[in-house]
This record gives sequence, structure tokens and C-alpha cells, in this order.
Amino acid sequence: MGAAARAFEHRVARLGGGAFLFFSAIFFLLPLYVMIVTSLKPMDEIRGGHLLSLPLAPGLAAWREAWSEACTGVACEGIGGGFLNSVRIAVPSTLIAVALGALNGYALSFWRSRWTGWVFGVLLAGAFIPLQVMIYPLVRLTANLGLFGTLPGIVLVHVIFSMPVMTLLFRNYYRSLPRELFLAARIDGGGFLGIFLHLALPMSLPMIAVASILQVTGVWNDYLLGLVFAGRENLPMTVQLNNVINTTTGVRLYNVHMAATLLTSLVPLAVYFLSGRWFVRGIATGAVKG
Amino acid sequence: MRARAASFLLAAILCLAPFATRASEGRPADAPRAEVIHWWTSGGEAAAVRTLADAYRAAGGIWVDSAIAGSEQARSVAFNRMVGGNPPTAAQFNASRQFHDMAEQGMLADVDEVAQREGWERVFPAPVLEAIRVGGHFYGAPVGIHTPTWIWYSKAAFRKAGIEREPRSFDELFAALDRLRAAGLIPLAHGGQSWQDNLVFSAVLANVGGRDLYLRVLRDREAAAIASPQFRKVLLDYKRLQSYVDAGSPGRNWNDATALVISGRAGIQIMGDWAKGEFTLAHQEAGREYGCMPGIAPDAPYLIQGDVFVFPRTRDPGVQRAQRLLASVVTSPRTQLEFALRKGSVPVRSDVEVSRLDPCAREGARLVREGSRQIPSVEMLLTPDQNGALSDALTTYWNGARPVEKVQRDIAAALAE
Amino acid sequence: MTARAAWRRFAPHLALAPMLGVALVAYLGSTLWTLAVSFTPSRSFPVAGFAGLAAYERLFSNARWLLSLENLALYGLLFVAAALVLGVALALAVDRVARGASALRTIFLYPYAMSFIATGLVWQWLLNPGIGIQEAVRQWGVAGFVFDWIVDPDRVVYTLVLATAWQAAGLVMVIALAGLRNVDPEIRKAARLDGIPAWRTTVSIVLPMIGPALATALLLLLASTVKLYDAVVAMTQGGPGTASEVPAKFIMDHLFGRANIALASAGSIVLLLTVAALLAPVMIARAHGRSRLGGR
Repeated sequence: MGAAARAFEHRVARLGGGAFLFFSAIFFLLPLYVMIVTSLKPMDEIRGGHLLSLPLAPGLAAWREAWSEACTGVACEGIGGGFLNSVRIAVPSTLIAVALGALNGYALSFWRSRWTGWVFGVLLAGAFIPLQVMIYPLVRLTANLGLFGTLPGIVLVHVIFSMPVMTLLFRNYYRSLPRELFLAARIDGGGFLGIFLHLALPMSLPMIAVASILQVTGVWNDYLLGLVFAGRENLPMTVQLNNVINTTTGVRLYNVHMAATLLTSLVPLAVYFLSGRWFVRGIATGAVKG
Repeated sequence: MRARAASFLLAAILCLAPFATRASEGRPADAPRAEVIHWWTSGGEAAAVRTLADAYRAAGGIWVDSAIAGSEQARSVAFNRMVGGNPPTAAQFNASRQFHDMAEQGMLADVDEVAQREGWERVFPAPVLEAIRVGGHFYGAPVGIHTPTWIWYSKAAFRKAGIEREPRSFDELFAALDRLRAAGLIPLAHGGQSWQDNLVFSAVLANVGGRDLYLRVLRDREAAAIASPQFRKVLLDYKRLQSYVDAGSPGRNWNDATALVISGRAGIQIMGDWAKGEFTLAHQEAGREYGCMPGIAPDAPYLIQGDVFVFPRTRDPGVQRAQRLLASVVTSPRTQLEFALRKGSVPVRSDVEVSRLDPCAREGARLVREGSRQIPSVEMLLTPDQNGALSDALTTYWNGARPVEKVQRDIAAALAE
Repeated sequence: MTARAAWRRFAPHLALAPMLGVALVAYLGSTLWTLAVSFTPSRSFPVAGFAGLAAYERLFSNARWLLSLENLALYGLLFVAAALVLGVALALAVDRVARGASALRTIFLYPYAMSFIATGLVWQWLLNPGIGIQEAVRQWGVAGFVFDWIVDPDRVVYTLVLATAWQAAGLVMVIALAGLRNVDPEIRKAARLDGIPAWRTTVSIVLPMIGPALATALLLLLASTVKLYDAVVAMTQGGPGTASEVPAKFIMDHLFGRANIALASAGSIVLLLTVAALLAPVMIARAHGRSRLGGR
């Protein structure tokens, strides 16, 4: 193929890729546009106007109300109060779950034996069970452990539910890495934990990023588990968010709902953006060559 | 590595952090403390719950609020906490059979003493008494009554369609709907969710089938009644109503349908009296921009549905005292009135002064007092399971082209569960 | 054996002990408990007693449950395909981008950050013929434009695919990106020098290299297919009628609202068995293949 033809093909491919990204971005951003626009309109305009139209007189009243004035029961203090609780639940849940997932994945991929395959299979099957089905047995379990309605209780529950996915992520990831590295480390005298801390973990930064994304999002947005297991003193922000959005027969303020949802999603979004630094390229490949 | 160790340490500290101390309310340590789970979370509902909290405080108690939006969520959390050994002092349920299982299993405390002392049997309507009575004991404190089948209409839409007065029979209703359609408006504003389909069905069964058929089908679950030609006519009229609904109806929330009536784009909505909150928020007044009818015919049955607080059984005498105080406070005449004013509901007691209520609620209170037109709503008569199966059958019929005889059989099967 | 050798031997097992405990107690235990409850006459809460196969009989004579299973099969196929293809395509495109990759990643991943209760409602509005996209396009001049899948019983499942793929594609993208980060860029250059067209390199060389990442993504997508609930509740409530009912919603409705735990448990067991029946042959085949090739 001539150089000119190759260059042309290259440019078409880049244009095509660019167009694809552009139109995809529009598709992805459309609901966000609606959410932001709705959150800036007063209720009269939402009721009477059009979904995609820009607000006539944009205002942040709904945002203020969502954070500090929306009614979530007798208290009308918005969703801001639960923020600290959400952090207190999310941080340990993410750290412990990701660490355990990495450890399990590592053990399962490099130190296999027959029965570990079966245990992993059971765990994987667990990923398919809707979590509401497991609530009652877990209520009994945590009550027997004396952890029902406590912060350690809700962290434990989150770790339990995240175990299948976290383990799966890291196990498959480690399987895609060259086995020679691991064998070389063993020959050099590395032990189980040593290889984990000095070889496997540093190589898994991208997967740690993905796992953190998954876990933070899951824990931050989940409210059913927090509602049942966290106890009244530790209720996460999502409980108040649900109270603002999901009233059964009360009046629905769509602008406040949208503002509240956008506010609650800022933390996972921040995690996504910051985790970008961990999507580093070619750690493993470089190591093999060298 | 050090950074990682530091974050683990931080995590451990956060895990062991002491719980936030409970704010003291400046009351003696033995003041009755009631933690109440309920699902009243929107603005108007919150104001209503606050009247209960204020009344309880005025009576010397401490109100601890545990609001959880979504009636099913709230009930399931209450139940799970009872099982987990950390029950609330009181939990909201509908005046229905939702809590009868728990009462039968001995998980709830009875309020016979309060009921006796305050003469509930004299002042509560019969359907409500039936709903809270299990095995001869009373297990709930009723808070307010709602009617799910009010008929709301936009006066502007009626004027535009040339409808001069409220329809007084179902034939007149169909005529009015035809005129609305001819005027280019949406005749019937409906949100297409299965509970709303069920609600409209209750309205048609009560208004077209009459009190007798209603009770024979939903209370006695008589196979002959369900297979009867009268019931068939009810179903056909029900399906005919569906033809007056606009194409965007499936999945729509009830309040979006109310918005259509508020803006005059639709003529009529069949919805519970909680819809008043939407009208009020849009600065509309009953009798001015919108009208409300409790039923079509002047003697149409008036459905009664409501909310109660149930009390998880406990051995702690302090908690028992708090429960009894709460039961007494929420059923007192003054609290009932203040609650109804903000909630848009009707007081449960028949001896409450109702002149301050809005015109629709006043009419409702009159009907509750009258007694002759009261009938229990479907959730008071069926178990949640049967009611759900009924909803499934109805929503399939409403949205599809199933022959009416098959639907009659579906409903018979649903009610036989 | 010496202490050190014993530690070496058993360290992996010790490390796996928490996982083992959780798997056995929480998951296996819950599944067995659910199985037991499905044979009792439980209603609002579990009671002892034996009701035989009554719940299962009722389950399989229930039109709504059978429809739910059908819907799930159709939805699963379309959703997994759509999310995988879109996610991988996005990953490949973003991987090549030099600047702005972080912004692009956030654009495609943000749907995952948001609770579907609100985003589902927005999708419901957008897809509603009266107020959403159909109305907007008509107002721009294209009269007669029709996009009313969400109120059409035969097409409503496609709307669920649309909205959930919108949410999930970003996650597939980052998983694929993580895998792509370990693909040596030299390979592409080498292939081009050999005269292999770029798309061929992608399909035959790069994609197989991120096979494990794709397998992870596939499993996650399958798991969320089976658990599909929030989207249905937020967008269609199972409607129109019961056209978009799914098994998880059936189970949930009967677990809480309809107070029939036995039926819900029976549904859960049937769902689990169906998933196991579909996945087990695949797993076993992979295990066999691997052992024959000498255990990688």
C-alpha cells in the first residue's frame, strides 16, 4: 500500500473516530443537559414548558433548597446533613473491599488449587443474586453479631456485597499479566505477601482505579443497605436524596430532585476524574522487555 | 507504601469513630421518646407530620423522626428493624391488611387501653375500625383518612368544551369526555402505572357497579359476582374510559397527570385527595380554577382509605408509655384537625370541627360522618398479594386487547390467591 | 515442616479465608435459606411449615412471571451486545486520543455516577412521545416524526436497553481501557509496517489481548442484566401494562409490597438456576480447555 494511500486511510480513520466520539458525546450528555436545565427552572416553567428548552430566568433556588432546605421528613434541612455519614461509610468500604479484592484476585490467579476454583464459582454466582433477596438473612446475621444498626455493620455488609465483583476484577486482570514475572519473582525467593506488595499491587494501578470507581459509586449511591443496616445515626446522604425525590403521594419538585441528584453525584464524579492519573500505560509490557 | 499504610490507618480510625452524640432536648431523661418511621417526606406532608411532632412535644414527649420515602421501603425497613432487634417506637402503615400478619404473629402491641379510654368505637368510621381490629384487639392508631377516587376537573377545560355542569351519571361523564375530546383537549388525564389503573377501576366499580357489587366482588370475593353481567358492564365501562386517555400516558407519574389538569390541557383526572397539594402549589383554589367530586352519582359510595401508626411489641415500660401517649395524641381532635389541614386529608374522628378545611375536604368529612355511603377501599379488603394480582390483571386489560370474559377469569384467579 | 515453609504453604489459603467465609456464610447460606423459605407458606415474613411446591406451581402459572423471563432474555441479549460494542468502541477511540482523554472519559462515565432513579426519570421524559424527543423533533419541523417506543408494548424493552446501555457503556469502556493500557503500542506499529490494515490489527490482535478484561465486562453486564430493577421502576414501572416486567421486579414486588416471601423466594431460586444453567457449561468448558493446554 502506498504511503499516500496509507496516510489518507489514516486520516479517514481519525476523522471517523472523531465523529464517533462527537456523536457519542452528544448522546451521553443529553440527559445531563435536561437535568441541569430542569434544575434551573421554577416549577411553573417545568410544568408548562418544554423539556429541552433553556430556562427563561435561570436560578439556583432549587440547588439551595436541595442542599439545605428540602423536606426529608419533619426536618427540612436538605441533603447536606448526610454528606459526612456517606463519607464515613464510603471510605472504609472502598479501602477494605479493594484491598481484599486485590488480595483474593492475586491469590486466585497465581496460587491456584482445585478447591479455590469452586469457591470462586460460588462467589461469582453470588454476583447474580439481587441484593434485596439477601437482606433478611443478613439482618439476622448482623443482629447476631451485634452489628445491626452500626457503622461497622454497614461497612461489613458493603464489603460482603462487593466481594464477588472486586475479586473477579482483579483475578481476571492478574491473569492477563505475563506469568514469567511472577515465576521470576518466586525464583528470586519472593513469598506470598512479598510478591503481592512489591510486584502485583504496583502493576495493578489501572485496575485499582477501576475497582475504586466501581466500589465508590456502588457504596455512595446505594441507599437500601444504608437504610436498613446503618442505624439512624449513620444514615447516608442517599437516604435524604431518596426522601427528596421519591415521595409517594406528596408534591414532587422536579427542579429540586434534579439539583439534589446532581449534588450527590459530584463525589463519584470527582473520583472518576482524579482516578484518571492511574490509567497509566504499559507497566507490565515494559517490565517484560527489560 | 507509607501513603497506603496511612490511608489504612485513617480508615481504621474512621471505622472506630464514636457515634455522633444525640442532641439533648432539654427534657428530663424519662420523657417518653418516640422514634417514628413514616413516608411523609414532601413539603406539605412534612408540615403535616410536624403538627404531630409538635402535639407530641406539647404533651411532654420527644419525637424522633425517621422519614423514609416510598411506602414500601418504609414498611420494609420498619419490619427489618423489628427483626434485627432495633424496632422503632411506631411505624406508619396504611389502614389495610398490610400489618395483619404481624399482629397475628404477636409482633405488635395492642392499643386497646387507649381505644377504650377515648371511645374510639364511637367516633371512628366502621371501615377504619375494621382495618385496625385483628382478633378482637386494636393494633393501630389512625391518623387520617384519604379517598383515592375523587374526580378532579379543570373549570377552564370544561368551559372550553361547553360543559355546563358536573356530570351526574356515568353516561353524562362519557358525554363530557366526548365534548372534551371534540374541543381538542385530553379528556382524561391518567398516569399509566398499575396502582393508578387499579384506582380508576375502584372508581368505576363503586360508581357503576354500586355498593353491593363492590362489596360482593372485593370483600366476599364471590365467584358468581365476578362472572356476572353487571361486573362485565363495569369492566367494559372501565375499558371505555381508557379510550379517552392520551398516548403519552403509560408510565407517567400521577402528579404529571394532575399537571395536565392544572394547565387546562386535560379535563378530568380520577385521583386521591392528595392531588389537592399539586393544585395548591400551583396557586389554584377549589371551586375557582378546579372542581372536585367525591363520586359521579349523588349517592355514589365514598371510598375510605387511611394511614395508621402501629406499635412494635416491646417489654420496655418506658417505650410502652411512649407508645400509648403517641396513640392518644395523634387521635385527639385538635391534632386530627391540624394534621388534616396540612395533609389535605379528612380527620378520622367524626367529632372534629371542620369549618377550617377546604371545600373538598369539608365535603369528604361530611360523607365520613354520614356513614351511609362509606365503603372500605380495596386495600382494606384484600391482602397485599391479592391486591397486587388484581392490579396485574387490570393493567393488562387497560393497556391491551384482552377479551373481557378472560379478564373476568383473571380477576377471579387473582382474588382467589 | 518448618514454620517458614508452613507459612509459605498456607499463606494463600489464609488470605483467601475471609473470601471463603463470606462466600459460604453470606452467599451460600442466603441461597440455601431462600431455597428453604420457598417451600414454606410464608407471607409477610418467614414462618416454619411445609407447603411443598405450591409457590413454584403458582409461579409457573403466572403470566406476568413468564413474560418477565421472556423480557429478560430479549433484554439481556440486546443490552449486553450494545454495552459491550459501544464500550469497547469508545475505549478504542479514547485510547488513541492524545489530549482531553480525561474529559472524554468523564463524559462517558458520568452516567454511572448518577442514581438511576433520577436519570431513569429523565429518560422517561425524553422518550415520552408527548414531551420528549418526538415532540422536540416535530417542533423543529419534521412533522410526523414518531419515536414512541416507550408506550408501545412491543418496543418498550428497547427503551430499557437504550437507557441502561447509556449507563453501562462507560464502565465497559474503563475496564477495556485498563486492559488496553497493557497492550504494547509497538504492536500496532509493527503490524502497520507489515502492511496489515489498522482495523485488522484491532480485531485480530488487540481485542484478543484484552480478552480477560472483556470477560470481566461481560460477566458484570450479565450480572446487572439479571438484577435489572431500578431502570424498570424509574422508567416504565413494568408498563405499558405488564409489557416490560422483569424477574427482579417480580421478586421485589412480592418480597415487600405484596407480602409473599415464599413466592419471591421461589422466583429467586428459579432465576438463579436459569443463570447457573446458562453459565455452567461455559465455565466447565473453559476449565477443561485450560487444563488440557497445561494450565495457564
